[in-house]
Amino acid sequence: MVATETFKPLVLAQAKARKVEPRLIVVKHPVGGLNAEELRERIEAATKGLTEATSK
Amino acid sequence: MRIFNPTFGLSATSAEKVSLKPVNWQTDAIALMSNSKPNARELLEGIRGKLSAHRQVENIKFMAKNSASQPAPKELIQDIAKNYRAAILALGD
Amino acid sequence: MTDIADKEVIDLDDMDVEAFNEFATEQGWSDGMPLFVPTEAKVAKFVETVRGDNRPYAPVPPRQIIPTVQALAANAVMAGCKAEYFPVVTAALRGVLDPEYNLHGTLATTHSCAPMVMVSGPIRKELNINCGTNCFGQGWQANATIGRALGLMLLNVAGAKPGEMDRSTQGNPAKFTFCFGENEEENPWTPYHVQRGFAPTDSVVTVMSGEGPHNLNDHGSTTGDGLLTTFGAGMANPGANTVYGKGPMFVVIGPEHAATLKRDGFTLDSIRQELWRRSRIHLSRLSKENLKTYETTGHKPDGDWLTIGRSPDDIHITVAGGPGKHSAFIPSFGGTTVSCTRIAR
Repeated sequence: MVATETFKPLVLAQAKARKVEPRLIVVKHPVGGLNAEELRERIEAATKGLTEATSK
Repeated sequence: MRIFNPTFGLSATSAEKVSLKPVNWQTDAIALMSNSKPNARELLEGIRGKLSAHRQVENIKFMAKNSASQPAPKELIQDIAKNYRAAILALGD
Repeated sequence: MTDIADKEVIDLDDMDVEAFNEFATEQGWSDGMPLFVPTEAKVAKFVETVRGDNRPYAPVPPRQIIPTVQALAANAVMAGCKAEYFPVVTAALRGVLDPEYNLHGTLATTHSCAPMVMVSGPIRKELNINCGTNCFGQGWQANATIGRALGLMLLNVAGAKPGEMDRSTQGNPAKFTFCFGENEEENPWTPYHVQRGFAPTDSVVTVMSGEGPHNLNDHGSTTGDGLLTTFGAGMANPGANTVYGKGPMFVVIGPEHAATLKRDGFTLDSIRQELWRRSRIHLSRLSKENLKTYETTGHKPDGDWLTIGRSPDDIHITVAGGPGKHSAFIPSFGGTTVSCTRIAR
């Protein structure tokens, strides 16, 4: 799951309530409201996070 | 003095571990699931575009629920579980 | 060693109210205002009022805890309820546990929604629930503490801790308490709970995850038609969640406005139809980016207009308040429902 650093605590709290361990890709906050140029950095970060998480 | 705990209750979730099947991220079908938060779809599109540099992406499909505020329909979850080996969810924002 | 959170009953050294409040705040049990002490004796008194209601509670999301009646009562005690209010609070909790209410979404959202609690039927008078002047405001113990008790349950049982599982960007004063009674006596049509199929003699709690009341001020219009023009324009709000077209809303008509509408021949149904048409938002008032989002999530405009809600049936109407030329619009969270529960007595 892709989440922003600001919303990571919410994801973790909800996962804890469900007794699951989420696999998280954390990017800078926010994502909503960014224009295409600003969003590019989040896409780079998310892809990098995904690559790292899936190559383990 | 003795008081009742206002947070007390019985847990409704079990701690059973679900065993996950291994995923081959280079070839397996992947669902890109948007919760319809603004820019969730765009973020997933960007990730798919990046992945296309080093794997086939024809079997990486977009899925979405039509409201960020409501849970995903069971049928959609079942569809993803049945047809995809992994799912990338966006967006916690 | 057992963590304090795992204990149903907690042994504490004798302490005064101030010390208890410090302890409770440290535990994260407080909404920021002083709490009463949920002693065993007080909780037992509250539990006695719901003795005949043996229906189990569903797990409360997001924490997924099945609460005990004693834990629920402890929250009502802490809120300052009288014991006889407790069946109203538990009915409100059952309402928000309706899966269609979407409690998880309404608590975790960045939206400002709070659980609106509306009480109908004879119990309003028995408990002195304010249905008239200042019904959304301060001054009545029942209104203040019933809404607060539900809020404390959502904090302590559901786990909606602000900044953690409650992610509201700005919050809303209605999160402290939002409870009022219908003014059935000055409703020239049908009380809300009767509209929903209950008997007039039933006492019913209605809940909806809503924004705070938006005032609909109209001192000048002398006709029902004029009032509906004002109401519709007030509801046509591109910044309320109703713009997503996914859920219900309430129009709470003040008694003087209701009398004018009734005099001019309007029925609940014709008011709904008129408001549905007059509350549409012209596309010129929507940003292109937002419109694209609404369209891609299934809420398409009708010509140059975007409706709020899915159909006229999303507009729920009742009468409350006292003398004066004001009504109120209460938009919902969107992905939620209006849930009614008969109060077990």
